[in-house]
Order: sequence, then structure tokens, then C-alpha cells
Amino acid sequence: MKFHQYFKYGGALRVPLKSFLVPLILTVFITTTAYQASRAESLSDSARNKKIIAKPAGYKKLNTVFKEIRGTVRDSAGVLPGATISLKGNPKIGTVTDPNGKFILEIPNDAVLVVGMIGYLTQEVPTAGKTSVDILLKVDSKALEEVVVVAFGKQKKSDVIGAVSSVNVADLKIPSSNLTTALAGRVAGMIAYQRSGEPGADNADFFIRGVTTFGYKKDPLILLDGVEVDRTTLARLQPDDIASFSIAKDATATSLYGARGANGVVLITTKEGKEGQISISVRMENSVSAPTRNVELADPVTYMRMGNEAVLTRDPLGMLPYSQEKIDNTVPGSGSVMYPSTNWQDALFKDYTINQRINMNASGGGKVARYYLAGTLNQDNGVLKVNGKNNFNNNIDLKSYSLRSNVNINLTKTTEAVVRLSGMFDDYNGPIDGGTGVYNQVMHTNPVLFPAFYEPDEQNVATKHILFGNFGTGGYQNPYANLQRGYKEYSSSKMDAQFELKQDLSFLTEGLSLRGLFNTSRYSFFDVSRGYNPFYYNIGSYDKKDGTYSLIALNETAGTEYLGYTEGRKEVSSTVYMEAAANYNRTFAENHNISSMMVFIMRNNLRGNAGDLQSSLPFRNLGVSGRLTYSYKSKYFAEVNFGYNGSERFFETNRFGFFPSAGIAYSISNEKFWEPVSPYISKLKFRATYGLVGNDAIGNDYDRFFYLSNVDMNYGAIGFGTDNGYWRSGVLVSRYANNNITWEKARKTNIGFEMSLFRNFNIEADYFQEYRTNILMNRAFIPPTMGLSAAVRANVGEASAKGIDGSIDYTQNFSNTFWLKARGNFTYATSQFRVNEEPDYKETYLSKVGNSLSQKWGYIAERLFVDDMEALNSPKQNFGVYGGGDIKFRDVNGDGQVTPLDMVPIGHPTDPEIIYGFGLSAGLKSFDLSCFFQGSARSSFWIDPAATSPFADQTQLLKAYADNYWSEENRNLYALWPRLTPNISWNNAQPSTWFMRNQAFVRLKSVEMGYTLPKRLVEKVKISSARVYMNGLNLMSISNFKLWDVEMGGNGLGYPVQMTLNVGLNVSF
Amino acid sequence: MKKLKIVLVLLLVSASFSCKKYLDVIPDNIATIENAFSSRTTAEKYLFTCFMYLPAHANVDNVAFLTGDEFWLPYPQVAQFHFFQSFEDIARDNQSMVDPTLNYWDGSKGGKPMFRGIRDCNIFLENIDKVPGMQEREKKRWIAEVKFLKAYYHFWLLRMYGPIPLIKENIPISATVDGVKVQREPVDACFEYIVQLLDEATPDLPPLIENESSENGRITQPISLSVKALTLVTAASPLFNGNTDMANFRDKDNRQLFSATPSNDKWKAAADAARAAIDACHTAGAKLHVYAPVVNTFDLSDTTITQMSIRNSVTEKWNPEVIWANTNSMAVQIQALSQAFIDPARTSNMGARSMLAPTLKMAELFYTNNGVPINEDETWDYAGRYSVKTVAAEDRFNLQVGYKTASLHINRENRFYADLGFDGSVWYGQGKYNDKQPWFVEGRTNQTAGKRGISLYSITGYWPKKLVNFQNIIEAGDGGPYTIKPYPWPVIRLADVYLLYAEALNESMGPSAEVYKWINLVRTRAGLESVEKSWSEHSRIKDKYLSKDGLRSIIQQERQIELAFEGQRYWDILRWKKGRDEFNGPVKGWDIDQEAPEYYYRIRTLFNKKFSNKDYFWPISENNLIINNKLVQNPGW
Repeated sequence: MKFHQYFKYGGALRVPLKSFLVPLILTVFITTTAYQASRAESLSDSARNKKIIAKPAGYKKLNTVFKEIRGTVRDSAGVLPGATISLKGNPKIGTVTDPNGKFILEIPNDAVLVVGMIGYLTQEVPTAGKTSVDILLKVDSKALEEVVVVAFGKQKKSDVIGAVSSVNVADLKIPSSNLTTALAGRVAGMIAYQRSGEPGADNADFFIRGVTTFGYKKDPLILLDGVEVDRTTLARLQPDDIASFSIAKDATATSLYGARGANGVVLITTKEGKEGQISISVRMENSVSAPTRNVELADPVTYMRMGNEAVLTRDPLGMLPYSQEKIDNTVPGSGSVMYPSTNWQDALFKDYTINQRINMNASGGGKVARYYLAGTLNQDNGVLKVNGKNNFNNNIDLKSYSLRSNVNINLTKTTEAVVRLSGMFDDYNGPIDGGTGVYNQVMHTNPVLFPAFYEPDEQNVATKHILFGNFGTGGYQNPYANLQRGYKEYSSSKMDAQFELKQDLSFLTEGLSLRGLFNTSRYSFFDVSRGYNPFYYNIGSYDKKDGTYSLIALNETAGTEYLGYTEGRKEVSSTVYMEAAANYNRTFAENHNISSMMVFIMRNNLRGNAGDLQSSLPFRNLGVSGRLTYSYKSKYFAEVNFGYNGSERFFETNRFGFFPSAGIAYSISNEKFWEPVSPYISKLKFRATYGLVGNDAIGNDYDRFFYLSNVDMNYGAIGFGTDNGYWRSGVLVSRYANNNITWEKARKTNIGFEMSLFRNFNIEADYFQEYRTNILMNRAFIPPTMGLSAAVRANVGEASAKGIDGSIDYTQNFSNTFWLKARGNFTYATSQFRVNEEPDYKETYLSKVGNSLSQKWGYIAERLFVDDMEALNSPKQNFGVYGGGDIKFRDVNGDGQVTPLDMVPIGHPTDPEIIYGFGLSAGLKSFDLSCFFQGSARSSFWIDPAATSPFADQTQLLKAYADNYWSEENRNLYALWPRLTPNISWNNAQPSTWFMRNQAFVRLKSVEMGYTLPKRLVEKVKISSARVYMNGLNLMSISNFKLWDVEMGGNGLGYPVQMTLNVGLNVSF
Repeated sequence: MKKLKIVLVLLLVSASFSCKKYLDVIPDNIATIENAFSSRTTAEKYLFTCFMYLPAHANVDNVAFLTGDEFWLPYPQVAQFHFFQSFEDIARDNQSMVDPTLNYWDGSKGGKPMFRGIRDCNIFLENIDKVPGMQEREKKRWIAEVKFLKAYYHFWLLRMYGPIPLIKENIPISATVDGVKVQREPVDACFEYIVQLLDEATPDLPPLIENESSENGRITQPISLSVKALTLVTAASPLFNGNTDMANFRDKDNRQLFSATPSNDKWKAAADAARAAIDACHTAGAKLHVYAPVVNTFDLSDTTITQMSIRNSVTEKWNPEVIWANTNSMAVQIQALSQAFIDPARTSNMGARSMLAPTLKMAELFYTNNGVPINEDETWDYAGRYSVKTVAAEDRFNLQVGYKTASLHINRENRFYADLGFDGSVWYGQGKYNDKQPWFVEGRTNQTAGKRGISLYSITGYWPKKLVNFQNIIEAGDGGPYTIKPYPWPVIRLADVYLLYAEALNESMGPSAEVYKWINLVRTRAGLESVEKSWSEHSRIKDKYLSKDGLRSIIQQERQIELAFEGQRYWDILRWKKGRDEFNGPVKGWDIDQEAPEYYYRIRTLFNKKFSNKDYFWPISENNLIINNKLVQNPGW
């Protein structure tokens, strides 16, 4: 749903507006006042400037001679607008170059000008005796010298050979308390999508350069300050606390992680304190969120009419579920108890919800110690309604807190210790069945059988419990009752303590240093549900005249007024990680730069509630990795890496693997002969890498020790005896031993270039290729007649991937007060099965080889059958009853039957092959505005015909289906929904092109408007800077698919993806 | 500097030494398959594992209950109450070779993985000699039991699929791509192998269970011999014995899988086997069950006692008639499904499901009170059977006096009243043990047992009372419990073996006093006169029992009546090759939506069933044919 549509919902309008308007008005008020103030300030400012220029009193006293000086500022590429010119010793006198790079200034005769601009070396220009100057600014290579976080360390961006993309951390600041939802389209090389909007369960999926394995673990290794964390930890990170965020994509960037790096690595570091006075920053946000689009349902009368039709069209002898009398008397929205028509969506869901986020951090320090402290509180609410009769809250209420303290201490001149402590905590309160569960229930509840609840009748005036509606013998699902009957709480905590010691050993030999890191993290989780058994009622008698009625209790003895209690899942785990590294960096003979690193790592992870012996055993990794880089004159670069590591999963002889990689780079723009070109192409660098990386997580946590058979000696139970008194459990083999099983291997190639055009375009692009072997697969030739109770597996699968990713950004300062930035990135990643364990199909199209790893197979749906005769005379379709109006599939192999042998690859892969993003931000004086679009293309999804099949299992009728279906009167052969059925038609529910949809979309992912309050004003209240902003998330999207938010794909009946409008304030002291 | 180097080297060396150990996280004594045969106790577990693959005989969705036309259910099925795959897919003609229902070949869609069961049996047989300190006698008994199970699993597959691969020994896991491809063997070879296994097993099995409290349900000689009789009767039956329809069914090596020429010797062998089984049963003390009231202080009528004998031969656990009861498939769900709502005060009890509905055809199958079919009885008004009549006082032990019911329900044999509940019938037991004041079934719409909601009602107006223990209680309260007395499912009871013998004898030798004797034993317990007397006195076809064909038809109807609702009829119809006669045509019930008897007792067609030659055997899922290209599909699929 687009935002304006959302507001179209008449009554809903006022309420969200009110809650939204208060902070808005407040913001506008602050902004306008501040703006007024700033205008006053700036006016007086310029007035003062003029005064200074016209009559610089101080100088006059010294009888200084003034002159007007004109000049042009340029760099090697051309004129520079927006460069600042000021007087040395008196920075109050100054100006800024105009769009042509020119300036005029009145200055004392012998003054020295200071000319500067961000990204350039500041220059001092003596003006004695001159009335015009031509100033050439040189690019400040140090300022441009971004530092990139790479495996086990940092490298200068210009030295990096591997494919490592950094994310601009500021871009990750979106009004959501889930960082993963910000990733899509933000970084070249990452494929990401979000399928659900439920607080606490809305993590986006993300993959680096797509998925190249059909094994168990497909997603990247995530390292936070060097230590592996899971996706939820990443989701809870605050962009404010992140110093750098980069992803390592190719072999040289990942092979140090050896058998764990094949799926790419996400590297994040948190901020550290800087020497200086304490600086405090506070960010507060208040947002309104609502589903981007709600599923529209048909009205209850249509539901019943079509419900009857569904039975009759399939079986003329069938019994009608709804009497004509009921249909005639049902009036939607009448609230009639006799003829209920329940809008379950209205009964359960609010139109919007309000969330708050607050984040504070403080940093500073002295010569000895520096600190960075941060705390965050996020409050996310669900859109579920709460009935006032319960005193507990069953709406989703997720509070997540985090605390972080990073302290750096210089123990000696050469020794630095770093202590990082962090804790992340989630406290959740919500419905027993979870938000997605509630949404699903609503979709599978009959709208006309009973109301959500009854107002008490005469008998029940004193009844304390809610009189929930139900039907028959009370066995139906009443989602309202399920929502109100209780609540679930969960709590998760993750604590990390990290100690790092860095020792500079330059006194032994120059450039040598040692580093040690110890980290332990503890995780705990538990959930508890409390709920009562709802009392169900149905209408007994109804008096039309005065509208009174009496209710019948359907489950008088089974219902309870008191809460019961269910203990849920509990999880505890502990991880200890150690790392010891030696670094050696040195420049020889000025031009030969060598750096090397050797690192030893050790990781141990234990789980407290493993469930069985084999998974209770520790998870371990051990390894040595090294890197050697060489560069000559910043022109030629070479790098060799290796990882040698092992994990406990494999047989002795296969436990350790060696993963080498190498790369070279050539910075042609640093050559002498390039100088003529450099005004146009200021930087050009080519890179190429090749290497081997592994993936050892080829089976799930319960299925690790492939070299051991796994036998459950307590499987099931069998009893004998007169009263079945003699029981013994059985034996089940759940894995057959295989010593040869080992990790996946990925051979990765990367070729890329980096280029800077003029001075404001930066382009980076990489072509990559990967060949993955040793993918664990079930042997396909084992027939069930073998009688095996577990699959036989081997490392036989092979897959490949290739694609390109790249980014472009553009920065332009038009003047000191107006700047513009644009950026875009693009990822195209395809994958292919190369060797797949499969039978030798006669029908070659059944073979997966050559197709994408997330390619779906299905039937080609030609159209709907005209009538039963046509169905009878067409090739037999083997999926249950079918006839006229059902989907007609193509008999591809022509054997006269439609069976799985007729399935062909259909549509695009389910994982998008293209993810892109582009955005624009601009600033004018104190205002800034930015927007960001994100898109996805080349992926398909399928409407789930089984889950949306109306009437089956009381499923609701989607309005879209009601508007466009095959009926005997209207035999539309291309209708959206085939002939109705009272239950699921498995013929129509087969995977086919009929329900296939293109998932391509472009989304206005975020828009932000900000206003920075003038310094002079805020300084009065001791604030160093303050910015108010308003932003929106997911405000609009463009896609052909209208039933629900297209990004949710086949999961459309779940908890919708949210759009958010947010007001925020960021203050620093 | 030097010191540092030494320290570094030491660190590296020690690190690499500890490496190997660090990753060796597996402690000793992890359970592997060897552990299963390390002691008698663990070997016993493995023995019990072999029993695990026995079909859940009592599961209404698992065997021949919902596959034919014996029962019917409301359709569309209401998923949150119950969804029965075998009804949906097999009874309603939606079986498919893509993902077959009751797939015992792969172990999916309600079927157990039979080949896994056979593999486990073979593993047991390969390893049992390794167990230290086993007593020889016990070891032999265990081997015999496992051989029996291996035979039964093969039999189960054979009956469903026809020719099957015989897994005499396990194929090793390391076998090659071709090595794992097995072929289907001709049915005669299959029967032969099953009989061979049973013959090997029988001598080492106990003639009867001595330690009943812990071993009832284990395999005995009578069980093994009865299964052998059933196997050989199946082998001799028209479906497998000279089935010309299957004459062209050949495997990839062009071997004929069904012999097209019938052999009477097969019936002889079957008769001998059945006789041997009966003798072993008798030796073990088995006899047809006759009810002796124990919980009862009331003076019961003979009618009630006869009917209780019939009901309790199934629902009373370990009654003397039970030869083989499956203790791992207790009749629980099936009793709830069969229970009609009879207590007007407890209609909202959700424990009873009241859904399993015998069809009108089944109600018409039972004899008249003269012991002959309703369309043969000279005195019974066949043409007027759907008219409404008021029940007279003389029927008080069967019907509600003064109540209006169909003529069809009057003057029927005891098994009709014992097996079925219907509108106007008595439902003895359930807390009311005085047969002068019993419960009555009132089945019209809005009545106690009638249709109220959109589920939990009988779609035909009949309930299989036979399957419900008379001591079950629908408890008070909404959603309250339905207290069930579970019984281990009687897979084989003595009456079954008697009728197998009579059938085999008639087929091999023709009618004789010996044949009548075994049928009459069953009829007498049901309160009927002998075959000879009943037909000659009451039937329009008085000499029917004198011809082989006539007697065959009598035995077949007797068998269907005696074993009605016990998961037998479907298999019998198939092996008699009468599927196309029986399973084609309308499935009928009463017009249960009506309140007035005149309207209620109108016939309503629920479904038009279809059955063709292919339906005699299950399809093998297509995927299997692709994986193993030596397999052939059953004809027609």
C-alpha cells in the first residue's frame, strides 16, 4: 500500500495523524524558530563580514593598506567552486569561491591567504604585490586515504588488492531497529531481501555475491571486532556505534578465514574513543509504522456465495455450507449476532503503531586512556489490538537494549590494551502464536461462522471472562481468542567481553608488532507463555424484536479463567575465541613496502541445551593464517595469503585444510607517463586475485560428525503384554559413517578496477567468478528398496557463480553552502549447478545442471480447461481431481501423462540475481535532503495456491480471487483463480507458471530531510551541534504485483513489511 | 631478540602439537550400530525395532478401512477435525503414481517404510549371533520372530504391489550404482519365499504365550501358521492365480510376472495350511468368543448376549478368539470415530468424533433374521425395505419401541444389530448395562446423534458399533473426555481362519459337510441356523449351497459380514478380483439433513465410485522408476 492510500482509509486517518503530528509540529516549531534565529544570526554575520571587509578596524589602526584581490582556485582537473579562502592569522576574514572557482576579497596588502577545501592540501598563498592569484590545489592523498578493515587488520584503501567494499555507515541509519533491513542495495556485492515485518523476526536475508552452494550454510561469516557473531547480533547493532562496515568478497580477502570464508565475510568494527574532551551524542527517534500493503479480502456475502459455488461446481450432490437465508440476512458490518460477519483484520490489527529509539554515546579521553561508551534503547510495537478486559499486553512489544564500552589504554609507550565490553538484550512480550502466527490465523478463519466475541447476554452479565465466539462443538480457530488468551515473553541476552593487547616491537626490529585477542561471549534465551483456555459461545436463541439473545456455552468445562503456563525454548551457549598475531610492516629502500602477518586462532563453542550427545560436543576451530604484501612505489602491488585451519567435523585425515590465495594490482595512475591524463582520470587501478576458500558448515549443528554413524538407541517404543506393560525402545540409524566427507572448496577469481574521473566521480567495478566443489549431497541412486533409514552422502556437488558488482559515487560542492552527493551500486550474481547428484533423466530439462541454484521447476500452465470434456481428452494430470476450469499443464515429454517428468525450469531464480540501489543527497546551508531507492530484479516468486485456497481449512477469500475466477457461467480461461474448490485442489496447487510472478521492484527505501540548528544558537545551551530530521522508510514501491508487498514473495499472508515515518533529533554536547 | 624468537618458536610448536587433540572432541563410547548387539538387552531393543514396521492395523487411515466403500466420510473434509488421506485419495479415486497414498514402498503418505523394516530384520539376522551369552532357545525364538516379520512385511508389499523385489539379504551401503538396482520377482516366487520364511520360523516359535503379562502380542505358532494360511489363500485367489488380465505384465528382462494359468493345487496347499493353522489355534486354546457378563448384575436377554459375543470378539482384549492382536496399534482413535452421540445431555463432548459411517451397501449386506441375504429371503419384504415402519415391542432388544425407522432395520440378523448403530437402534452399554433400559440412537438432524455442526456426524446415518467397546463412556461436560477402553487390534481372529479354511476347501474340493461345518461354527455364534437349513428353508435359491459357485458366494458374503469393519473386506474384494463389481457405482446413505422420518429415509447418493483394472494394485511412485530403471510400473498407472 502506498502511503497516500494508507491515509485514504477514512477513520484511520485522524488517529495516526494525531500521534504523528505532535512530534511533527514540535519539530517544525523547533526548526522554524531555529531557522528564524539562524537567519538573524547569518544576517548579522554577513553584515559583520562586510564591515570587516569594508572597514577592518583593527588593521586600520595599524595603518594597514587594503587592496582587493581576485583569484581563481583550481585543481589539476579544473576550477574548484566552494573552496574556502581566509586570511592567515585572522580566519574571520574570508570567502568562498563561486561556481567558476573565482573569488574577490579585500585584504591587507601583505596578507597571506589560506586556501583550502575538503580533500585537498591546504595551501598558503602570499599575496604581497599581487592583485590576482591563480591557485592550484593539490589533492590530499592522506585525506582520501580511506582505511579499510580487512581480515585480521586494516589496510590503506589504495593498497587493497582483494575485493572489499565498505559501506558508508551513515547510510545504514534508517528508522528501523534492525540493521539488516538497511543492507539491501547499500553495498556492491550483497544480495539482500526482507520477507517479514514482524518485530523481532524481521531480519533480512543477505548473501555475498549470491549463493554458490546448495549445502547447509549459505550466508556469510559475520565478524564484529574480529569475533564471529550471528545475524541477530548484527541486526541489533547501532549504526551510531559502528566505525566501519565492509564486506570481503574474493579469495584474497577471505582465504585467511580458510574453511569458513567461502560465503564471504562481513567485517564490522565499533568506534573507539578519541583523545580530547568528552563528547556526548544523543539521538532520539519517534516513528509511526504501518504495513506497506494489507491483503484485501472479499466481503462475507461474496464469501458465502462463492463458498456454496465451490461445493456445487465440484459435486452437484454436495452439501451447501451456507443457507440462502443466512446469505440474505448477512449484512457486512451490521454487528448482527445471529448472522455474524466478522472482519478479522479489523478485529485484530491496528492501522499503525508507534516505535521509539534512543541512542546515546560518549567518547573522549586523555593520553593514557580513551573511551567510547554507548547505550541504546529501542522500543518496537506490533500492530495487534489488545482487549481491555485482560490486564496483560498481548501486542508485540520488543524492547532491545544494548550497552557498549570500548576502552583503549596505553600501558606503556609501546603497549596498548583494549577492553571492549558489550551486552545486547531483547525483552519481548507478544502473542502466544507470534505475530506471523496471528496473521496466518486471520487468513484461515471463516468470516461468517461466529463473531470475535459476544457482548454478554442476560445470563452472562456477571461473567468475568470474554465470551469468545465459536461454532459447532467449539473446535474452530478463533484468532481473536488465540490472540487475547495470553501472552508470551522471551528474553535474550548476549554478553561479550574482549581483551586485546597490542605490543609494538619496533625496538627489536622496526615494523614488528604483536597483537593478542581474547574474547568470550555468553548467550542465553528463554521464553515463557501464559494463557488461559478461552471460553467459547455460540448463539442459542435470538429475539428479532428487541435484539436480545441467549448464548450457549460450547466448552464450559474446558475453558479456564485463570492463566496456565508453558515453558518454552531455552538456550544457553558460550563461546571463547583467541587470536594471536604478529605483524611486520616495513619500507625498504624507500620504495619497497613489505607487510606481513601471521595469525593463530582458536575458537570453542559449547551449547547447554544441545538435545543430543553429538551436538552437545564442542564446536571448534583452529587455524593459522598469514598474509604477505609487497608494493613498489605505490604502483605495483602483490599479495599472498593463506589459511590453514580445521574443524572438529571431519575425520582425522581430513581435519585440516590449506587455503592459499594471491593477487596483484597495478595503479597505472601513479605512473609518470599518466600525468597528462590525470586531470581527467585522477586514479586508475587494476586488480586481479585468485585463490581457494572453504566452507566447513556443510551439515546442520545436529549433523556434524560425518565420519561417525549416529544411532538413536532410544527411538520410539514398542510394547507387549496383556496391558502393554513391557516396553522397549528401538534403534534407529540416523547417519551412516563416511570418513571421506570434508568441506566445500571454492575457487574464486576476481578482476576489478577503481577509477576516479575528474575529481568527483569514483567508480569501482569487479567481475567475479567462483567454482565450488565438494558440495555435500545425498546420493541420488539409492532406491528405497535399500531400506536405509538415513541418506547416503558424499562431497559430489559442484556449482559455479559469476557476476559483476560495482559502485559509483559523485560528490560536488557547488559552494560552501550547497553540496550534492549521488551514489549508486549494482550487484549481478548468477549461479549454476555444475555437478548435481541426480538420476540419469531421459528428459534432459529435468537436470539441474546448468541452471541457477535457486531455480524452480514447475509445470507449464497453458490455461484453464474449457470444460470437463477437454480435461478428459487431454493428457492425464496426476495430482488429484481436475476438470473444466482447472489448470491445464503441458505434457512436455509427450508421454500422454502429466507427471513430475514434465516439470521444466520456470521463471527466474527465487533469489534475486540483481540488487541495486541509488540515492541522492543534497545540502543547502543547514538543510539536507536525501533519498534512496533500492531495487531488485531477476527473481520470481509463487503465490502459494495451497495457503490462499479459499474455503479449504476455513481460508479467507482474497478479493483479487473473488474478482477474477473461473466459474461455470464465466469461463474465463485466463482467470487469476481457477475453478473454485471446497478444499485445496492439488492439481492447481502444483508448482506451475500459473501462480508465478516477477519479483522485480524498485522501492523508495528512504527519504530524509534534516535541519542542522545553527551553532551560535545551540551553543548557548551548551550543545555543540543539533540536527532534527524527518525520514520515511519504504514509503513507496513500484512493482506489477499488487496483492501484498512484493518483497515478501510467497510469504505474503504473514506479518507485512512495514513502512515508517519517523522524526528524530540528534544532539551532541 | 633471540629470547623472543625462542618463545615464538616454542609457542608455534606447542600450538601445532595441541592442534590435533584440540579438534578431537569425540569421546569414546559414542553409540554406533555395534552397540546394538553388544548385550541381550540391546539386542532385545533391536528385536523390538523389527516390530516397529508392523502396519498400524487399528489406524482407520492406514489399512483397508477408508480405501473401499465400507465406510464413508463427510466431504469436503474439515481439516482441523480430521483429514483422512486414504479416503480422499483412494476411496474418492484420486490415487496417483506421482505421490501415491498409503505408500508402503517409500514409507510416505500414511505408509510405513516396509523395505526399511526388512533391512532391519536382515541386520538383526546378520548380527544376532554376535550377542554374547544368549540362551540358545531364546535366540532361536527371536530369529524365528524376525523371520516371521520379514515374511509379513514382504506379504504386505506383495498384497499391495503384486510382484516385489525380494530382499533376502541386505545390499551393502557401499554398493555400486548398478548394485543397488533390484528387480521385481514373479508373484509365485514371492509367495514361495514368504512361505519358506514362515516355515523356517514356525518350529522355533512358542505354541502359545506363557508369560502373558509381558509377551502377549509377540509372535506364536498359531500366528505364523495363520499368516501362512492367509498367504497361501491369497496366492490361490483369482487375483494372483491365473490372472489373465496380468498375463502381459512382464519385467525389463521379459519375465512374466503373473502366471496366466490357474492352478487348483494352490487352493489345496491353502486348505492344508489353514487346517494346520486351525489345529495349532485349537491346541493353544483358541475358541470362538461367547460373552459371559462380568460387570453385570442384570439378567440379559439371549439377544443381547449373542450380540455382545459378536462385539466383544473384537473389542474385548485377549478374548479367546484373538489369534494375533497388534499391541502396538491400539484401537483408540477408531473407537472415538465410531462412537455415535447417544447421551442427549452430553452432545457437546468433543472426545467422541462420530464420523466413521458405514455405507448403506454395508447395511444391506447383512442377512435377515433367517440367515440369508435380504434379496433371497422368501418372507422378507425386499422391495419395501426403504419404507418407514414403527418398531414393535418384540424388537425391544434391537430397536426403540414405537420409534419410526426404515423397514430395512427390522428383522435382521444379530450381527446387523451388533455391528451397526443407526436411527432407532439400541446402543447397549456405555454405562447402561440393563438391556431393558438401554441407550437409543436418534440420528435425524438436530437429534442427539444427528447432524448439528459441519463435522462430527455420520454422513450415512450408520455407525460401526462393532468397533466400540461397550464400556466406553462419553463423559459429562463440554469438550469433556471420551473414556475409551482400548484394545489391541485383532489382526487375525479364529472366525477369520475358519472361513479361510472353508473357502480354500470349497475351492479345492467343492461343497462338503466339512466346508459347512466351519461356516456353521461362525453362524452359530452369531445366532443363526446352519447354511444348509437356512438356505433350504428360507432362500429363494434353495440349492445355492450345494454348488461350488453358490457356496463360494455364500462364503464370501459370510466372510464380509463376519469380518465387517475390521479392515479385511477391501483386501478380500481385491483378491477375489471383484473390485470392478463391488467398487463401481454409487455410494449411498440416508438423507441425514432431514428431521422427519419420511424425508430422512430417502436414499441420497454421496459419490459415484469408479474402479478399473489398474486399481487392483498400488502404483509405484514414478520417482522410483527413474532411480531404478530395472523396475517396471504396475499396468495402467
